[in-house]
This record gives sequence, structure tokens and C-alpha cells, in this order.
Amino acid sequence: MVDKIKVENLNCYYNKQCVLESLNINIAQNEILSIIGPANSGKTTFLRALNRMNDLDANYSRKGKIYLDDDNIFYMNMENLRRRIGMLFAMPIPLPMSIYENIVYAPKRLGLISNKSEQDVIVEQALKDVSLWDEVKGRLNSSAMKISGGQQQRLCIARILAINPEVILFDEPCSGLDPISTAKVEESIIELKRKYTIVLVTNNVKQASRVSDKTAFFLMGKLIEIDKTGKLFVSPQEKQTEDYITGRFG
Amino acid sequence: MIKLSPKLSQKLSYLILFLATILAVIPVALIVFIIVKNGVSALTWEFLTSMPKDGMRGGGILPAILGTLSIVMSAIFLTLPIGVCAAIYLNEYAKDNLLTRIIKLAIVNLAGVPSVVYGLLGLGIFVMFLKLGVSIIAGALTLSIMELPVVITTARGALNSVPYSFREASLSLGVSRWQTIRYIVLPNALPGILTGAILSIARISGETAPILFTAAAFYIPYLPHSIFDQVMTLPYHLYIISTQIPNMPKNVIFATALVLLMIVLTMSVLAIIARIYFRKYRKW
Repeated sequence: MVDKIKVENLNCYYNKQCVLESLNINIAQNEILSIIGPANSGKTTFLRALNRMNDLDANYSRKGKIYLDDDNIFYMNMENLRRRIGMLFAMPIPLPMSIYENIVYAPKRLGLISNKSEQDVIVEQALKDVSLWDEVKGRLNSSAMKISGGQQQRLCIARILAINPEVILFDEPCSGLDPISTAKVEESIIELKRKYTIVLVTNNVKQASRVSDKTAFFLMGKLIEIDKTGKLFVSPQEKQTEDYITGRFG
Repeated sequence: MIKLSPKLSQKLSYLILFLATILAVIPVALIVFIIVKNGVSALTWEFLTSMPKDGMRGGGILPAILGTLSIVMSAIFLTLPIGVCAAIYLNEYAKDNLLTRIIKLAIVNLAGVPSVVYGLLGLGIFVMFLKLGVSIIAGALTLSIMELPVVITTARGALNSVPYSFREASLSLGVSRWQTIRYIVLPNALPGILTGAILSIARISGETAPILFTAAAFYIPYLPHSIFDQVMTLPYHLYIISTQIPNMPKNVIFATALVLLMIVLTMSVLAIIARIYFRKYRKW
């Protein structure tokens, strides 16, 4: 398969302190890559390096290269990059507007849509893609802050789909959700694999084994092991990986 | 040292704290009470809507009311856009470097400059150097400089109260920084900015020193025609009639004070209503 993202010798620093060290990872097109590891292992830093959200922080610095389809993302226009690599945050962050406006907000600002009927089509399609349409179709104009946490998180996914990205980053998307909402979000993620390349950071080892094709284990800012999910969970090569996935530490 | 029982010391400290709080209320209540009691008899419709007569001893205070309102409104009109722009720059764009720190320090210190110094500054720059003369515009410019740091500070507070996560969510969708500010941050900070602006109006309505040399006139027999006219103003008029005019009827003085007080209190009440209204419709 074609590599969608190539990370070459990436080093990330916060306040000059190294939080991610000489990282090399390739992520294939239409693959779900899970990243597992204990707290402070650099998972989220890695994720936020991919769409350059880290670069907003004045204390952050980096070395190395990341390629998206052979283009170095550090030379790309930030808005273009983030349009192509969407991100879902740990906590659902609906914008303070209606459900409908939440979805059309970015396409409108990016100039992707012009008229009302186009907007309606995008909203319906995006909400159907995350199986939220039936739950909210009667109240599209009510505030997005008023729906449940799980629904908000799926709305946030729908919002990303509306700008039609190529890659979607998930940063512990279910950490605040109950099991049923979690199952629904996971369903959406697997469903999305057909069209998008997905990187999923999770604290939930079982979640990684349920949804991903490949899994990477991070520890203390280093990539310890990366392999096909089936293989990594059955016969990990490294002792630390085995300890972590069997729950002996972390 | 006398040792009090825990129960007694608890009661005593409660009492002291409560009395200190009451002490803050008494002056306000007294001011309102005394001014209303002495001034309400002279407060008629005619008093509000006619020109002064008999060397200010009779007639009304219409030119002073209009003068104060026109200066204050012009000042806020000048200072609000500049203050909000500066606040956006400082809060959303400025990196934490030496220049930013100097700017912030300057703003803090600007807020601490005595108001009579602003009056002298206005006299020097606007009245004399820019040859605007003693006029509404010179007074408004002086007041707007004085109010700028307050507007910047309240606007920054309002911008800060918009959760950072909204900015992140918007940026992560590829929306530019300016569009994020324009469509997410500003609309949600607007209530706070407006409330601060209304309170600023209340605050500068009563200022005397900055307009003393820049806008205020002792007596003008006609209403202002343009922003380059000198005007009578309420605070200065109050000063004149209480100290410069012999045999001034007491109730007219207090009625003038009452009008000034009512303008300020109306603004404060408006700000409170605005805050309650916006809080009700806040979406997060």
C-alpha cells in the first residue's frame, strides 16, 4: 500500500525538553494506526505534530521531517495542511452555535460551498456518515451545546468530514464517553477507514485492538514497537510492550 | 494576650468582616439619600430642557447635559474600536517578548496617571498643538486616551473568557487565525466588551479634570453646533454653581448633582441588564 504519511527522524521539544525522540513512522493510505502508551509517552504530541497544532505553542520546537503525499508539511500553508488533516479532540468541542452551523462553519469559511442547498446536502451527508442524522434531524437549528457528549463527539467528526480531509487524527476520542457512546464512535471510526487514513491515540488498549490495523507502542517519548495489530497483541517483540498490553504497568 | 474561645472568636471575626462590608454600603446610600432629598424639589422637566437664566441661578441645565453626553459619546466612539483592536492584538497575536511586555506595562501605567495630567496633555496636544481649540473633539480625544487602558483591559478580559478550545477547534478545521477571531472569538466576547464599554461611559461621564482645559466652558448661551464648539458640561457646571456663583439656590446645585448621578447610575444599570441578558443567551 502507498504511504500517506512519512515521519522521518522527528524530535519534539517543550521548553527545550525532549518529549519525542528520533521518531520514524510510515502510515499507509486507508489504514487505521493506533498509538498506545502510558501518560507522558508523547502520543498526543506526535498527533499534534502531524497537523501542526503544536506549532501554535510558543514553548514548542521540533526537528525532523513529516511528509504528506511526498510534501513536507513544515513547508505547507498551515490552513491547507489542516484542511487535509482533520483532528478530533479528546473532549467534544462543539462550537457555540447550532448543530447545522457547526457543520457548515468550516466549509463556509474555507469557501467550499456557496449556496444554501449545497449546505443542506453537506450537513445531511456528514451527519449520516456518523449515524447522527436520525437522532438530530428534527433539531438542526438548536444549540450543539445541548446534545449529549457522545452525540457532540460524533457531531465533531461530522464537522471534520464536511471539509473532506484525507487524514483524520483522533486524540483519545472516547475518554469522556460511556460504553454505548464509545461503541458508536468506534463504529464511525471503522466506517471512515474506507475513505480516510486514520491515526488514533488511545489510552484504551482494547480499543486499539478492536479498531486498528496497525498499532504503535510509545514509551517515554520513544517508539518502542510498531506492528500489525493482530501480531503486536498476540506476540509482542519487546518486553515493555508485553508488560503494557497485559496491564502489568501503566 | 487574651485567649478567646473558638466560638467567640468565630463570632467576633464574622462581626468585624460584616461591619467592614456595611461600611462600604453606607457612603453610597448616604450620597444618594442626601442628593435626592435636597435636589428632587428642583428637578422638573423644565430644569432638564431649558437654558440657564439669571446668571445660572434659574432656568435649566440643558446645555450642560447635552455637552456631557456629546463629549462622552464621542470619546467612547473613538476609544472603543482602537481599544478592541489593541486587545485583540495583545491577546490573540502578540508573542511574549520584550516589546509585548513593555506595551503591557505602559497600559497598566497609563491607567494610573492622574486625570488632571490627562487634562494638561489634552491642552498641550489637542487644544494648542493640533489647534482644535477648547472643543468637544479636544475633550473627547483627551477622555478617550484616558479611557483607552481601561477599555483594552476589559476587552482582553472578555476575549480571554472565550475558551481556548474553541480557537483550537476552529483552527484544526483549517480555518485561518483571523477568521477564527472574527467568527468565533469576537462574537462570543462581544457581550463582555459591550458591558465594559457601558461602564466606561459611566466612569468618564463624571470626569472633570480632563475636560476642564480641553472642552468645558463657564457659560454659553447657545447649544453646540459642531464638534469644534466649546460646551458646558455637567461636572464643571456643578463645580461652578457650587463655588463661583453667589446666592445660588441649594436645591438647584443638588438637582444638577442628581442629574449627573442619574446618568452614571443609568449606565451601570444598563450594563447589569446587558450582562444578565447576554448570560441568558450564552451558548456554552
